[in-house]
Amino acid sequence: MLAPALTFVLGVIAYPLATALWFSLTSVQIGGAGHFVGFANYSFLFGLGTYGDAVRNTVVYTAGSTVLKAVFGLLLAFSLARPFPGRRIVYAVLFLPFIFPADMGAVAWYYLFSNVHGGINYLIQRDVAWLGTGPLAMASLITVNVWHGTALFTVLVLAALRSVPGNLVDAAVIDGARWYQRFLRIVLPYLVPGLALAALLSVLGTFGDFVFVYLITGGGPANSTSIVGTMAFEVGLLNGDLGLASAISFSVIPVYLIGLVYLLRLVAGR
Amino acid sequence: MSLLARLAAGSLLTAFLVFSLAPFLWMVAASLKPGDEQLIFGNPWWAASPDWSNYTKLLVSPLFLRWAGNTALVLLGTLAISLGASILAAYALAHRRVPQARLLVVALFATYLLPSGLLWLPMIKVVQALGLADSPLALVVTYPGLIIPFATWVLWNFFKDLPPDLVEQARLEGAGDLRILARVLLPVALPVLAAVALFGIAITFNDYLYGLAFLSAPGAQTLISEVAHTSVDINDAGFTFAAILLGVAPVAVFCAFFADTYAKGLGTGVID
Repeated sequence: MLAPALTFVLGVIAYPLATALWFSLTSVQIGGAGHFVGFANYSFLFGLGTYGDAVRNTVVYTAGSTVLKAVFGLLLAFSLARPFPGRRIVYAVLFLPFIFPADMGAVAWYYLFSNVHGGINYLIQRDVAWLGTGPLAMASLITVNVWHGTALFTVLVLAALRSVPGNLVDAAVIDGARWYQRFLRIVLPYLVPGLALAALLSVLGTFGDFVFVYLITGGGPANSTSIVGTMAFEVGLLNGDLGLASAISFSVIPVYLIGLVYLLRLVAGR
Repeated sequence: MSLLARLAAGSLLTAFLVFSLAPFLWMVAASLKPGDEQLIFGNPWWAASPDWSNYTKLLVSPLFLRWAGNTALVLLGTLAISLGASILAAYALAHRRVPQARLLVVALFATYLLPSGLLWLPMIKVVQALGLADSPLALVVTYPGLIIPFATWVLWNFFKDLPPDLVEQARLEGAGDLRILARVLLPVALPVLAAVALFGIAITFNDYLYGLAFLSAPGAQTLISEVAHTSVDINDAGFTFAAILLGVAPVAVFCAFFADTYAKGLGTGVID
């Protein structure tokens, strides 16, 4: 009964993974066989300035997006906790960006940020080059990531909020606990599993992102928003250096191992 | 809640609603203007004199029908394979004696966490070996590999926490595995199955790399990969926006109403 699942996981994950690992140790090019080069790709990479930029940008992009998504997700979940008219529709609208095709969303945002008749500049009647300077371009990308991914935090925190026993909160109110004490001591511990799951999925998704950065800034201007995913794509497909591209992708594996340990604790804790 | 807190909650929700909807409003306006008008003249947020030609062109375009068909094939094929394989695997891991079942589940989940950027280059070779280059079926064999690990983890969490008597009782009455699944487990698992299906739809809709890597012939595209393929024709952006709004947006909107089901299902075993 495990056979179908294992077939797909082996074929689509394990085999490509092993191949990519092998690639990263060779000098294979598109349309050309390579030979074993040991860790040469990795040592070349670690001396490469553009790689350092990509790693730093990836960390800024991931940390910035995830913190904002968690904060907004928490606030939105609390705002949605009590019933009000139209709540179902509000909830659905907030979830829509998460399920809508990401590439289409990215293209729409690209035109919103555009400084040639772009939607945002039209509204504020100014001529801002949103994607033209490094910090603004990164802020724009984080905005799109928050647009797409906040809903995951919102819905998971909201589901976790329902697990908070109401009588516990009531008892704390009678005991005279202030709102922040109630939040920190009583509510927050119940939210941690939901927040942790959302954070795990969000960090890994953003760390491995490609579509938003590639379609909106293409890593520019001057590599200021280039992340690991877009750099691997450029080196691999555009320059044809499959060995180096695989090394770029594999170099982020430690982050995934940390995620895995985190997950193990989340699962083993029960 | 105090009045102040209510006011703050209301303002935050309103602001985020506007933020969530803004790109859609822009897309609708773009789809209602002919040619490159959207990117050059007038209010980019509003079509003063709506022009429906992008939509009427779609309805008679053989390419649109082809893309819509391919999209349906990819989505339904992916969901059928992913759900079937995950249900069987989760059942075996939870209710049959599989050695090291927990470890296997975690290992499965770990594969889900891998970045797709790592896998797509070698996957091109797998797709070619299967003879599926430039066929939407290439996506039907790929997406399940990305969905099954997480789906199995969620379903395993659900199955293992059900009362053991439920399965034992049916087994004593002589029911086989498939019968137990169909008659006993799946009926109570419907909300979780819906959540897993939504998860699969989100993976399918949010993919960009695989569509870009596997499909290049115009006739092989889905509505979603077609965006990747053309990166939207700037002289005629409205056509692509209309294609997405007509072909994909209704499914996305329908799914959005099940956000709650999605969250509860994903949280199975993590959030109680």
